Amino acid sequence: MNQQNVERIVRELLIELGENPSREGLARTPARVAAALEFLTSGYRADAERLINNAIFTQHTNNMIVARDIELYSLCEDHLLPFFGRCHIGYIANQRVFGISKLARLADMHARRLQIQQRLTDEIAQTIFEAIDAEGVGVVIEARHLCMMMRGVQKQNSVVITSAMLGSFRDAPATREEFLALIARSRP
Amino acid sequence: MRPDAARIEALVAELLSELLDPVEAKRLAKTPARVAESLGFLTSGIGSRATAQTLAAAPASHGMVITRDIELYSMCEHHLLPFFGRCHVGYVAGARTAEPGELARVVDGVARRLQLQERITEEVAAALYEALEPKGLGVVIEAHHFCMMMRGVEQQRSSIETSAVLGSFRQDAALRRSFFSLAFAHSAEER
Repeated sequence: MNQQNVERIVRELLIELGENPSREGLARTPARVAAALEFLTSGYRADAERLINNAIFTQHTNNMIVARDIELYSLCEDHLLPFFGRCHIGYIANQRVFGISKLARLADMHARRLQIQQRLTDEIAQTIFEAIDAEGVGVVIEARHLCMMMRGVQKQNSVVITSAMLGSFRDAPATREEFLALIARSRP
Repeated sequence: MRPDAARIEALVAELLSELLDPVEAKRLAKTPARVAESLGFLTSGIGSRATAQTLAAAPASHGMVITRDIELYSMCEHHLLPFFGRCHVGYVAGARTAEPGELARVVDGVARRLQLQERITEEVAAALYEALEPKGLGVVIEAHHFCMMMRGVEQQRSSIETSAVLGSFRQDAALRRSFFSLAFAHSAEER
């Protein structure tokens, strides 16, 4: 990303929208927007291998591990408006487990791209599944979309729920139900 | 002047080609048109005067009328990210009254600009004060800002509260206090 180009584009956008880009509140907006966009798309440039490989540990467990309520913020690829909510990740290890914060870091990495919620869900599940050769992985995301809230149909309380189930989470109904039960208790 | 949608679309396409690799930018070929339409709507209040139009003569009552929880969505002028929350308007009628829907239209008109929460609060108060000529009027806004939630300090639960009071609400501390306590009566259930 060329910082100066992005700043110029943002300045021209402000003019097109009918604003005065020189007024005090907007003078530094192009630089701020450029920095914000770079951060919010940093997932394209993140190195998943490096993120993951430093934090995979051998552990002889064959039980379900669940990380609930991981806060999640992403940008919708259609309107470049945020969608936000919670991500729940469960997996059954096959000799190898993740360091505990890495699930959240993986979710962030995929969320900091231009996304649709279903692909985000699939990508997180697939990355985890492949990285540790898990027996099974389940990911559920519950999110609210600003593109539905502040424009368009203007539904303020609608929540979109997506899921991705791989391995035993897909093939064994009992495993999937256990995961769904573990993430179902009332929200904090 | 209405924004030039084709020009905005071209700028957004240019922006995407800066942020994304060519394959991803090509995949999102329809995004610039959608963003242009969306941005046009979200900034449709720029350059237009937000004012209450459908008004009625005030009845001979001296009570305070409060409209709570007017949905508010705006774009922060520093990061072009949304902020959203609720707006509460209270007034003691003077010359005229307005339907709650009319108050919401004024809030929308002011919020659909590149804004600061403090300025929305002041502008809504000023527009309604001028249109209604009430004895006193107050506006409170509670909002969450994506620029604080998804980047920067990454504070997910922090909310910003702003207020503006005019006329008797400014002079009379008891009146102001009862407005604030009614406006914030249920704010614990936020989010």
